[in-house]
Amino acid sequence: MARRSLILAGLLAAALVATATVVPMLVSARPAYEIPVHDGADGDSLDGAEGDAWNEAPSVGVPLSSADAAVPAANDTSVEEVRVASARTDERLYVRLSWADATRDTSTNDVREFADAVAVQVPANESERPPIAMGGTDNPVNVWYWNGLNSSQELLAGGPGTTTVMTSGELRTNATHSDDRWRVVFSRPLAGEDANRTAFSATEDVDAAVAVWNGSNMERSGQKATSEWYYLALGPGPKGPPYEAILWTVAGLAIVFTTLVTIEGVRRTRGE
Amino acid sequence: MSQSDDGQANDPAGDGTEVRLADGIDHQVAMVMDLNKCIGCQTCTIACKTNWTDGGGREYMYWNNVETKPGSGYPRDWEEMGGGWDEEGEERTPGELQDREDYGRPWDFNHEQVMYEGSDEPLRPMDQAGWGPNFDEDEGAGEYPNSYYFYLPRICNHCTHPSCVEACPRSALYKREEDGIVLVDQDRCRGYRYCVEGCPYRKVYYNAMKKTSEKCIFCYPRIEGEGPDGEVHAPSCAEDCPPQLRLVGYLDDEEGPIHKLVNEYEVAVRLHPEYRTEPNVYYIPPFAPPQHSESGESLNAERIPRDYLEELFGPDVNEALNTIDRERSRVERGEESEVMELLTTTDTEDQYRLEVFD
Repeated sequence: MARRSLILAGLLAAALVATATVVPMLVSARPAYEIPVHDGADGDSLDGAEGDAWNEAPSVGVPLSSADAAVPAANDTSVEEVRVASARTDERLYVRLSWADATRDTSTNDVREFADAVAVQVPANESERPPIAMGGTDNPVNVWYWNGLNSSQELLAGGPGTTTVMTSGELRTNATHSDDRWRVVFSRPLAGEDANRTAFSATEDVDAAVAVWNGSNMERSGQKATSEWYYLALGPGPKGPPYEAILWTVAGLAIVFTTLVTIEGVRRTRGE
Repeated sequence: MSQSDDGQANDPAGDGTEVRLADGIDHQVAMVMDLNKCIGCQTCTIACKTNWTDGGGREYMYWNNVETKPGSGYPRDWEEMGGGWDEEGEERTPGELQDREDYGRPWDFNHEQVMYEGSDEPLRPMDQAGWGPNFDEDEGAGEYPNSYYFYLPRICNHCTHPSCVEACPRSALYKREEDGIVLVDQDRCRGYRYCVEGCPYRKVYYNAMKKTSEKCIFCYPRIEGEGPDGEVHAPSCAEDCPPQLRLVGYLDDEEGPIHKLVNEYEVAVRLHPEYRTEPNVYYIPPFAPPQHSESGESLNAERIPRDYLEELFGPDVNEALNTIDRERSRVERGEESEVMELLTTTDTEDQYRLEVFD
């Protein structure tokens, strides 16, 4: 009897450990919201939106939805997913975005013409998470913006409608459109050159969000498809929000508890 | 966000005639245009164009234009493209961006062939000459012998409740504190064009070369005396007008003719008041000869239908026309009429209250 109990306790403990550690790895190879940062690749190759080095960097499918901003037709957006990959060298951080867009909109020469565009948003202060919609007054964001006219800008924003061009930036972009897909790579020196520029280090993950505009759908300003906050996995070790592990542990405990209650119930029914 | 709700109400004349100014505005520039004097010569249009829009992506823009009414106007069918506010003046109503073709494109003429290559063809546009500003000039409406039309000069109305200002998510458009002129901050503008589609009068224009929007500036360097002669001048469109149909000044200047015509006598009315933007350009509505019979006799019937004028200027146009009629009769009887004096003066010093700008 004591032996049976011991075996049961052992099994239950094993179930708990399995649920809390093995199952998360099985159901998700990568923590939610992580954008892995590939290390040690060749910078020259990363500079090109279709550079070979990007074959080695794992990409994440990031779902997009309308930003719900206070502009007309804010909910009429057309891009639903963007694939995001990231890489770093000793000097620079690279982010590559790729999304399906059959219409290559690269002109704003007509009153009704708008260009395709994409942006990456990171907190100016990398250790704080700003409001997702263009940051806040006390918690601004850096925005790397590229559009189909092949112009790119480094912007600072502290809330909707406040984007301001940052001068003397070293943002580089490269874009291609082939097979009905845009591929755009942004890169910037890891070091933040001044107080308002995000500094990237090897010790800390940095939040990042993305936005895509489809020009032929007259998307511009707050009429855009945006992601939630993700994070660039720059820091060491396995990641994942702490609550994920907690949730799985709770699930394991729940399994053990239900099993015990069931066993006890069966035993009582049998009158043991 | 409605500025009319929290706007300031002034009563400079102290006689119950209320002047509503936008919140935070010291004065409000205004014009009165007498449509009975407009001959459609487009001198105002060209004065404006040579000053402000003769190049750099502004070729298609006419910050000042003169269109024939009834007619499609410039840009084509602008009255049907939306913008402005709802009936309560609180919610903006959505507008649409006009197609580039609706503004008209510069035409290429066969100058080369005719002038240098000996072609016998008449000088004419080579192609794309299917539409342009004033393409329907002088067409008007009605049937012979009672056809009718008049000219309508239009600039930015520098509205008290401007929907273009409200439309901009970046607050790039603003009303100048000192005189209520509506301007586009070119450094803030990112070319989204919400102002272009948000203005029901279509008086904000997208500059495809600069990638920003631009508009009438009420010739503010001229009223500030920033020109080469250092003197204060009325806006070019007013000063260069051959029949001098425009009055220029502050709406809230009780000594000025604008205040009298608009607020006291109420003979100058707004274009499309139902857009609820509260324009500060006012019009003296047009009179036309009465209708004629087939045999050419004058009939006791107005040529320009009242309901058409109401469509353009709202119900207040009726009282304005009646008042002017009454005042004309007084002059005919040899009596004095301040209204008719204000409308018939040939002294530009009376027409332009330039001293208020100093």
